[in-house]
Amino acid sequence: MGMKPGAGMKADAVVVGAGVVGAAVARALAVAGRRVVIIEQGVPGGAVSGASLACIGTHMMDEDELPLLKWCCDEWAAFAEAAPDFEYSRCGQLRFLKQESERRSADEWIGIETAAGLSPTLLDPEAVRRIEPELTGPIHAATWSPNSAVVNPFLAVRRLLEAAQAARATLVSRNPATALRVVGGRIAGVETADGPIEAGIVVIAGGPWTAKLAATAGVQLPIVPRKAQCLATVSVPRSIRTVVGACKAEGGVDAGYTQIQQAMSGQILFNTVLEGGVTAAGSPDDIPEVDRAFIRDSIATLLFLFPKFAEIDLLRSWVRYEAVTPDDRFLTGPAGPDGLFVAAGDGGTGFVRSLGMARIIADLVAGRESPFRRDLYDPARFDRRAAA
Amino acid sequence: MSGPMRRIETDLLVVGGGPAGLEAARAAAEAGIAVDLVDAGFRPGGQYWMQDPTGAAPLSVQGEEGAAAIAKSQASGVAFHAGAEVFAAFPDRRVLANTADGPIEFVPRAIIVATGAHDRAMPFPGWTLPGVMTPGAGQRLAKLGGASAGERVVLAGSGPFLLAVAETLVKLGKPPVALIEARHTDLAIIAHLARHPGRWREAARLLVAARAIPERRSGWIVTEAIGDERVTAIRIAPVDRSGRIDRDRSETIGGIDALLVGWGFRPMIELTALLRCRHEHDPALGGWHCITDRASGRTSVEGVYAAGEVTGIAGAVPARLSGRLAGLSAAADLGADTAGDESERASLGEQLARARAFSDGLGRLYAPPADLATLAQDDTIVCRCEEITRAEIASAFAAGTDAVAGAKIWTRAGMGRCQGRICGAAIADIAAAETGITPREAGFNPPRIPLRPVPLSAVLEATRDGQE
Repeated sequence: MGMKPGAGMKADAVVVGAGVVGAAVARALAVAGRRVVIIEQGVPGGAVSGASLACIGTHMMDEDELPLLKWCCDEWAAFAEAAPDFEYSRCGQLRFLKQESERRSADEWIGIETAAGLSPTLLDPEAVRRIEPELTGPIHAATWSPNSAVVNPFLAVRRLLEAAQAARATLVSRNPATALRVVGGRIAGVETADGPIEAGIVVIAGGPWTAKLAATAGVQLPIVPRKAQCLATVSVPRSIRTVVGACKAEGGVDAGYTQIQQAMSGQILFNTVLEGGVTAAGSPDDIPEVDRAFIRDSIATLLFLFPKFAEIDLLRSWVRYEAVTPDDRFLTGPAGPDGLFVAAGDGGTGFVRSLGMARIIADLVAGRESPFRRDLYDPARFDRRAAA
Repeated sequence: MSGPMRRIETDLLVVGGGPAGLEAARAAAEAGIAVDLVDAGFRPGGQYWMQDPTGAAPLSVQGEEGAAAIAKSQASGVAFHAGAEVFAAFPDRRVLANTADGPIEFVPRAIIVATGAHDRAMPFPGWTLPGVMTPGAGQRLAKLGGASAGERVVLAGSGPFLLAVAETLVKLGKPPVALIEARHTDLAIIAHLARHPGRWREAARLLVAARAIPERRSGWIVTEAIGDERVTAIRIAPVDRSGRIDRDRSETIGGIDALLVGWGFRPMIELTALLRCRHEHDPALGGWHCITDRASGRTSVEGVYAAGEVTGIAGAVPARLSGRLAGLSAAADLGADTAGDESERASLGEQLARARAFSDGLGRLYAPPADLATLAQDDTIVCRCEEITRAEIASAFAAGTDAVAGAKIWTRAGMGRCQGRICGAAIADIAAAETGITPREAGFNPPRIPLRPVPLSAVLEATRDGQE
């Protein structure tokens, strides 16, 4: 068990949330020499992160974020060297096109990424099958990004937490931070049921729960929960080698998506959302079941691509709430009273970005220049746009 | 490939064809309600009233009772769907089941969940050896195939069900060679039985079966199963009245070829949990169980009723009574003319309270010993699907989680084909032993769709219209 907060628990920084973002932030701050307490309401990695398909790649993600995404991919590769036990696999990523009309979008992305020094290509169906032999469905073509990787999300969070703990960070789990402490206009720590944890810096990395905690200090954040769902088959012999997705079409935040991959356990993990995620009302604490249309679309897409899998057993489904922002980018940076920071708004692709968000927070706390465009993630960016 | 989906609209869907489900279905059908009953077995009857799959004459008293109950249900107009495994349910109460002929979608106005119970297994060294199984599995083998689990069987664990298995094996001409009951025989059991004369005959019958077993021990526990290809011997040790195991006085029983060991039953709550009914934890009722209003069988979710073991382990008599009550009240809630039923329901309620008092008392008397979670050693596999040992699970508890869900995320325990149905309760007990919390606080892994592994083609067929 982690420690319990009690009378006089003190730290330089409290990180709220032990998902991949919180674990990465805690690690970055602890390695920089700060005394860090990381507080988690449930099980570390047990909410959004553990339910993630944890793809580490730059392909068809976000043009403006490409420098940060490239840096993140290199950082993950370096972390896999340092802490090898989290099933990091640079398996590459295919994004299929069903018809000719999707070529324009594919060509555009390939152009953007090639200009940034990456090496995506467009493959015909025969070339696709050389990479992914069981993908025999009638696709038009697919883009291929050889550098994308996947990790085991549970193990990755664990390794990050262990790295933070090795740098003397303290983990408090199954203990929610109930409110922020603000004294004289400055952040002074967090409240818990067992008493306060005092700290001059608080970083909320609480995914869809972030806005609720920020509101206790009067800070309004435009983060809403969005239902995200996934299916898994029983373990089968290795039959999918890459991460298979749909070519990213227009539509931004609300566009649909597909992701299919096989975990090291042999389970095939897959999801397809055709009409785009629906932002859910209500609390992210009340996790519903998958819905029927999602099950149908996900299996139909999987079997369209991999018709041989029809008689494999479906084993499990799961639902989580991911945190989304109006422009689908993280809110990472200072917010509200001095000493308060947030790093949340994964938009369902937080795994790859988590190390970059941690870097931004660590630079801000240290008063260092960041190599990345902070304005993209500034929590106040929407206020400024409204004012302009 | 899966066959086409059938859609069945009905008033009431009863899930489970054991004593509770059969009684519930018949009561509602006799009240004039359209009732469909879905059961995973080849023939209805459930574990307790198990019927021979070939339709051969029943072996046991229970089998005969069951055959009569099935005939009555059929005569009342209940539509049976045997060999249909429920794998999904949605908040609008639609239920999906898979059969050899393709999936069925049920669109009922109300559901009665009577899914019964499964064996409560507890990991111990050697429990994965061939020849080691639960008493329930041994009973199924005997009732379905007319086969004993072995030539020289040891029955072990705790609870009166061990005697019911002994009775079946005696009838097969293969009486067990030993009975190792953890509970001490004492006056409390006799006193409890004395208060319920209605159960004396059953008790006497079971005692006759017990007498056919040459070696009987009470206050002893199996600590290890030994063998290379198969179990050939067991280690046993005394367990004192506070549940502590004294390994210094261990003995070995050799020359065996099967061990049936179990600690009673656990309610099968997957469907009620999926439907978001309220559940509570009580060790004497088998752990997590669905909360119902005892007089009506209503759960916390409108239109969903539960009856029998899923509402807390109590045995066949309360199962029948709670089934009938749930059937009558569901029929009334669905608008059947049930004038005149009030007095029957009141009387059923009283009978149910008496029957439950008996079984709750037995449940408390045969509570598993305190040291049960210490049987599994560091290298004992706890999660069989993913082959996760006790030490791995304990390391998760040491590292920052104390919940069943945490152990799963940390170690994959409970993530395999059985989705924690076999090991989940054991992991909660181990969490309690390692961290000092209660098994209740350790929680359980909420079930998700699908409740059982189902071919992708069948799931696609069943969801093809995608209606919400």
